[in-house]
Amino acid sequence: MREIKIEHLARVEGHGAIKVEVDGKKVKKVDLEVLEGPRLFETITLGKLPSENLSIVPRICAICTLSHKNASLRGLEKALGIKVPEKTDLLRSLMLHGEAVESHSLHVGLLALPDLLGYPNAIAMTDKYADTVIKALTMKKFGNKVMETIAARATHGENPIIGGFGRFPTNEELFALKDQVGALIPMATAVIDLVGPMKFPTWLDEETQFACMEPGNKEYGLVGEQILISDGTKLDVEDYKKLTNERVVPHSYAKRSRYKEKPYTVGSVARVNLLGGRLTGKAKSYYDRYHNDRWKKNPIFNNVAQSIELLYALEKIPPLIDKITGMKDPAVVKPGRDTGKGTGGVEAPRGTLFHSYEIKNGRMSKVDIITPTAQNLEDIERYMGIAAQAMLDKGEKDDAIKKQLEIVARSYDPCVSCSAHLVEIVRK
Amino acid sequence: MTHHTAEARAAAKKKPTVGIYGLTGCAGDQLTIVNCEDQILDIFGAADIRSFLMAMSNNTEEQMDVAIVEGSVSSKGDLEMLQDIRKRAKVLIALGGCAVNGGPQSGRALKNDWKERVKQVYGDVKFSIPESLEPKPLSAYVKVDISIPGCPIDKLEFLRALGRLVKGDGPTPVKYPVCIECKYNENECLLFKNELCLGPVTVAGCNSVCINNNVACVGCRGPVAEANVAGEVEMLVKMKHPHFPDRKSFSYDDVVNKAMMYGGSPMVDLLEKAKGAKK
Repeated sequence: MREIKIEHLARVEGHGAIKVEVDGKKVKKVDLEVLEGPRLFETITLGKLPSENLSIVPRICAICTLSHKNASLRGLEKALGIKVPEKTDLLRSLMLHGEAVESHSLHVGLLALPDLLGYPNAIAMTDKYADTVIKALTMKKFGNKVMETIAARATHGENPIIGGFGRFPTNEELFALKDQVGALIPMATAVIDLVGPMKFPTWLDEETQFACMEPGNKEYGLVGEQILISDGTKLDVEDYKKLTNERVVPHSYAKRSRYKEKPYTVGSVARVNLLGGRLTGKAKSYYDRYHNDRWKKNPIFNNVAQSIELLYALEKIPPLIDKITGMKDPAVVKPGRDTGKGTGGVEAPRGTLFHSYEIKNGRMSKVDIITPTAQNLEDIERYMGIAAQAMLDKGEKDDAIKKQLEIVARSYDPCVSCSAHLVEIVRK
Repeated sequence: MTHHTAEARAAAKKKPTVGIYGLTGCAGDQLTIVNCEDQILDIFGAADIRSFLMAMSNNTEEQMDVAIVEGSVSSKGDLEMLQDIRKRAKVLIALGGCAVNGGPQSGRALKNDWKERVKQVYGDVKFSIPESLEPKPLSAYVKVDISIPGCPIDKLEFLRALGRLVKGDGPTPVKYPVCIECKYNENECLLFKNELCLGPVTVAGCNSVCINNNVACVGCRGPVAEANVAGEVEMLVKMKHPHFPDRKSFSYDDVVNKAMMYGGSPMVDLLEKAKGAKK
């Protein structure tokens, strides 16, 4: 028995490692170790006010900060009997699109592309691909600007509050965002033109299950009240546990998710596989050009899915701004009650995120948060196992195997901090 | 705090070697560095960045001039990593709220201890893996040379600090509360609207961004030097509850809960002192 170990998984958010146990020519076990210490977010906010919960929980992860904010708002407002007006809803949707632009351009352009082009990092890429790096940085900056305009800060902005916004962004601020989009669309298509035609290894191909939020109205989108699963099942978001089936396993602090006793995948590739037919504009033409059945079998296509979603988010922003700027600023909606339950489901850039709450007499009494990376962990390990075995069968050296496993793990765009509030796996 | 140190000046004579690290946290401060889209290529030009796991995979771990560390110490692995970094670095910078104060995870909302809370989340399962540690700031374990607070850090504050460090100087710590910036921005004081605002006890440097948006300060930058926490608590418990108008006022616990959102261990100490002053 020998061990192949990647001590520090680089170019992902947070602190992770990969361990493979090999017995002769067979891969016995693959572990994605999440070395972040637990922070126990579900106990931090107990007894606090709903508004304080809303401030704290996005701190689970800086990259998904607004997805956490949105999921939290949806759960808390349901529990408090609040229904927000359309303008508030649309602004929240706009900030999620901003987050998608920021997160996808960071991941595809700066973290995953070095893998796909054979570089150690994006800075090194500037020898031949300076233009691509600058395009990714430009789109990323715009995504941050959208988030900053609406949430007051690119990371952990406090402007989205229960029932509305502390301050609604002005039409001038929103038009200033819209004005930038035209120049960014060709940058997004350039990324797809680069990533779309790439060939990914067929030996990784194996079927899996997918899930995402169903936006309703036959639209593509990032929020919903129902969960859509690849076997055709639709679940009310309040029944999220029927999808996640979380369980504690004794060999780690990881709570693992399985649907019908099997791993499943959430994230860009899940959304595009399940809802891709609903895409519009240039994003739809790219979907038609590049999407095929292998996307349901190979996680590396998540990189292409993200670049298509990046374009989709950019295309969606101008019409959203047109609609929002035609509306008057509504008053902040006050809670209708101080006791209740509610679950919010949101598509974070890296997958479905659930926040489920109970509030008693105006204080948080129960908090359950299930993050996309926690749901993806089992599939990440499964595909790393497939990759390791295929590489061993081909007689590859450890260094090549390590590199390939990192590529598989990174293609999921894992957010180690996100999963680590539930997870600490340190296996000896 | 030891700014303007001889070590810092020596470090700057040639292009300083820098390592950027994350312990347990949300990575928001490292992300804020990556978010310096207009400056990131310059940062990599001005400093010799040897290790930045979040952004690069070809990292080298050796002696360095400056170590920038984000996150709280929340596991034995974190502690070993921090002690190793401290040994190898001439100047250690605590980056962001978790590294400076311990972060929200050190916020003890409930009176029960860390082990009980672990049990609350994971149940009675017997783990075969090493214990976690109650989250604490870096200064609980090692000497910290420079602190850059904030959840997340302010981009400009970081760039200014790095720029000065590259030139052999250090940043000037902010010694006044958010209220000063809030007055400059001509905001209406939210305390008059019965909002539980932590501006008076929170260190400035954020340009009062939340209050500029009519949102009460959540104290994400941690307590300001010489914060009058006793005075703040006394004032706040007299106010009417703005969200549930039928409530008489905030309770002492409400105020403590809010102060402990991001105040970490320094706020625990200040609240203890405030309690003493009340008696």
